[in-house]
Amino acid sequence: MNEEKRGMSMKILKTALIAAMATASVLAQTATAMSAELNILTWEGYATEGFISKFEAASGCKVTAAYVGSNDDFAAKLAAGGGVYDIITPSLDTVPMMRLAGFVAPIDTAKVEGSADIYPEFSQNGDVVAEGSTWAVPLIWGSVSLIYRPDKFASKPDSIAVLFDPANKGKISMWDDKSALYWTARYLGYDNVFDLTDEQLEAVKAKLIEQKPLIRKYWASAGELTELMANQEVFVSNAWTGLTSKDVNNLKKGFEVVEFTPKEKAEGWMDSMMLVKDTPNEECAYKFMSFMQSPDGQCGIAESTGYFPVNPKAVAGCMDEQMKKDRQVDNVEFVKSLVMWQQPKRLDKYLEVWNAVKAAP
Amino acid sequence: MTLTRRTFPGFAALFSMPFAWVLLLLVVPYGIMISVGFWTRQFPLFYPDFQFGNYAQIFSDPQYTTVILRTLKIAALVTLGALALGFPLAYFLVFTVRSAALRNLLYMSVVVPLWVSYLLRAYTWKIILGTDGALNSLLVSTGIVSAPLDIFLYNQTAMVITLVYIFVPFMVMPLFTVLDNIPRRLIEASEDLGVGPFMTFWKVIVPLSLGGVIAGSTMTFCLAFGDFVAPVLVGGPDGTMVANLLQTQFGAALNWPLGSALATLVLVIVLVLLQISSRLDTAGRVELT
Amino acid sequence: MTSTPIVALERVAKTYGVFTALHPTDLQVEEGEFVTLLGPSGCGKTTTLRLIGGFEAASAGRVRIEGEDVTERPPYRRPVNTVFQDYALFPHMSVAENIAYGLSVKSNNIPKVERQSRVSEALAMVGLDGLTHRRPGELSGGQRQRVAMARAIVRRPRVLLLDEPLSALDVKLREGMQVELKRLHRELGITFIMVTHDQTEALALSDRIVVMNAGRIAQIGSPSELYDNPATPYVADFIGATNLLDGQVIGRDGDEIALRIGGGTIIRSRRGTAIPANAKNVILGMRPERLLPSAPDVANTLVLTVKENLFHGDRLRLELTAEGIDRSIFTELPRTAVAAVSSVDPGSRLVFHIDPADVMVFAGEKNP
Repeated sequence: MNEEKRGMSMKILKTALIAAMATASVLAQTATAMSAELNILTWEGYATEGFISKFEAASGCKVTAAYVGSNDDFAAKLAAGGGVYDIITPSLDTVPMMRLAGFVAPIDTAKVEGSADIYPEFSQNGDVVAEGSTWAVPLIWGSVSLIYRPDKFASKPDSIAVLFDPANKGKISMWDDKSALYWTARYLGYDNVFDLTDEQLEAVKAKLIEQKPLIRKYWASAGELTELMANQEVFVSNAWTGLTSKDVNNLKKGFEVVEFTPKEKAEGWMDSMMLVKDTPNEECAYKFMSFMQSPDGQCGIAESTGYFPVNPKAVAGCMDEQMKKDRQVDNVEFVKSLVMWQQPKRLDKYLEVWNAVKAAP
Repeated sequence: MTLTRRTFPGFAALFSMPFAWVLLLLVVPYGIMISVGFWTRQFPLFYPDFQFGNYAQIFSDPQYTTVILRTLKIAALVTLGALALGFPLAYFLVFTVRSAALRNLLYMSVVVPLWVSYLLRAYTWKIILGTDGALNSLLVSTGIVSAPLDIFLYNQTAMVITLVYIFVPFMVMPLFTVLDNIPRRLIEASEDLGVGPFMTFWKVIVPLSLGGVIAGSTMTFCLAFGDFVAPVLVGGPDGTMVANLLQTQFGAALNWPLGSALATLVLVIVLVLLQISSRLDTAGRVELT
Repeated sequence: MTSTPIVALERVAKTYGVFTALHPTDLQVEEGEFVTLLGPSGCGKTTTLRLIGGFEAASAGRVRIEGEDVTERPPYRRPVNTVFQDYALFPHMSVAENIAYGLSVKSNNIPKVERQSRVSEALAMVGLDGLTHRRPGELSGGQRQRVAMARAIVRRPRVLLLDEPLSALDVKLREGMQVELKRLHRELGITFIMVTHDQTEALALSDRIVVMNAGRIAQIGSPSELYDNPATPYVADFIGATNLLDGQVIGRDGDEIALRIGGGTIIRSRRGTAIPANAKNVILGMRPERLLPSAPDVANTLVLTVKENLFHGDRLRLELTAEGIDRSIFTELPRTAVAAVSSVDPGSRLVFHIDPADVMVFAGEKNP
């Protein structure tokens, strides 16, 4: 929670000081080159003390983590000042852009211990392996489902429509992310979510603007959604499955939040590690990628986030059967029940539409 | 000539640092910002160019004008709010509080919050205005409302309240100074001439404090105009301001050229405002004798 | 025949915490008088004026104007106007606006045309026509002073209060303005109450002078009364200058008393009648201009040594010492009188004579 809040303020401050960061990055680069360090730009919960300290002890690499609130932050921060980060962990829909923008270097999988045991559905994905090279090492996967307060609804909602229902006015939240377009597109019944036509995008935009008066607040970080739920500001939202419900219910506020998968399906995502081009800390980076495929790494991150491991062999000994079932271990078929994220064909257009929605009155 | 040559090393030593500071951290960045505004973007990269497409986009796409107008509106409301709170406060400090020690203490208590983190102060309002917040607890416990209201937080009103609270010291400081500099004799003279306190306030104190009103309003307006935290913390879905738009263009949207053009436009707006304020100030300036 | 005084203070006092600015004081000012409150700074004269104007609240006593108790009234409900020491002109208004300011009050109900004519009239009265559109910042000190006058008199007050009205002007201008003030007082026919620390100004302008000292009235009288018959050594010294010497009564002979001063010199005075019969130690006062060089064999003489001589144009100011007297004695000789003495160089011994009618005697142990 603490870390999450810090993550949010850091996001605000860092983005504001984007120009200053260019200078800072030069200094940071000099500093990192001097000792065994590893700078990770990642998601909240992906670098918690519990398992990172094990990595630091084993590798001698000091880990510094910064956090993003959405996948769009990766490119923004790398463009602002390359060299600050060594490893980034974008979702699959952002992986191709990192490669096309030239932010990342290909990965030598031979140097990543345990990479052979990753679900091939992820490790051989067309965006992970491209142009004859491997660009990413899968880290963790999960879904984005809906979360709601059962005590505030007469009947259990079963559709994305709950986010657009005027009856819930002022009690709805949504992730401040271009994925809002995916959700709306699916609600409108489009199945080409990642390749919408101009007309479809217009319809999605109109629907989102129509929805705005119902929205209390777009959430920008997991920590913020936890706060909105815990303080009873909102009763329903889309959420990173596992994390928010765990955090809110742990606060014991006298009410429970429950996750559910709408009939239009939940969304699936997979985050993987990418190696920032020209990093001076390549050795530590490979050590880290290897560690994250080990039992300590996979179980550690799965535990701190509530998401699903990508390496069934690694977690075989560190998860009990119930947890394995919950976390879809050896059930990669579950992927097929999800709308797996892809990079939109016209990413910039999607971003523009989402920004226009946010700017609208 | 000799004198000039002899003092040059001293002059250089004294002024080279500030000059370098201004050049490196103000002039050069502004130059870069303005020129990037003419670049083109080919997602996800951008290329040096000289074209006005970014400006065309800003003026043709209603989302940008909407946000700029909204920001102007919020900044104006914040300025009015800060003036409405700050003027009586400064007036009270200068004219009502007799004890100099108490006056200084109260003045410090207005200024001291500036030393507290901006984020913390903005965050406090979230705790006060929230559905489970202090204000609702008060209203429910006193029976004024039966259930917590959600009208206080996550909207433009909350932004205005928060920004007024945060920037009111910038209004009070210049007002305190001008009011404190108004000779008491002028107020006595007005009353001596048969004019009561109320009209004395309007005909003597207000005109003579215009310089402070202009300075305070300019500062408050510019600070509020460039704010990006209040929309994030206490603003709702309709709270996006220009600074957030800039943040997005340099961040998520990865459109630095458009962002630079927008930033240049913001700079122009602020410069125009400063120019107007300086004109008003010169016109209203009087020699206090 | 006694009419109600236009301004009356009845046991009015002002204290600030433990400091007493004005002890309980009575004062009556008659309609049309020019009264001056005179004294050094801190004597309570400005406090008294501010109590009349309403800028200070009396700690005790009543303030009456035209017989009405105005003690509790704010300045804007008193029929007086003030010319402030630093003029207190409104810097954001033109000369005309400054003057019209006090006429624009709603309750006055003065039509605009009349306001304009009254402003012009006031401007003409103080000789400022043609400067109506200037701002105070563009005026000279004398011009500001005139605007302040015009602004106060345009309201046709019953009483005009003047707080050190000339002190900010240079000497030349001040003398000219004294004449102006006198003329205005005569033309307007209203009561003037002025505060000043300048006795020359007070003597030149006033019908009556109220000499104040340490928060009390020391003496009230016309300029000549105060000059000729000061009630105390303080007044004697403050109004004109007076050489004050300690002395002992050694004998009385009708209306004359004999007094011994330092060095054993005996001086006779014909003004000691008010001294109590049993008084021993007294204070003698001798105006410098009453000490005149004389032959040594004349009665009532003092032998004095020149310490310093100062050329004052038509007069010569001498600082003199006498044996047994620990302070200097001053005298001012007309140039014609100087010719009669042998030398006024430092060290010269001169004999001075004073008429017993000019030797003032005050009860009191010690020189103030």
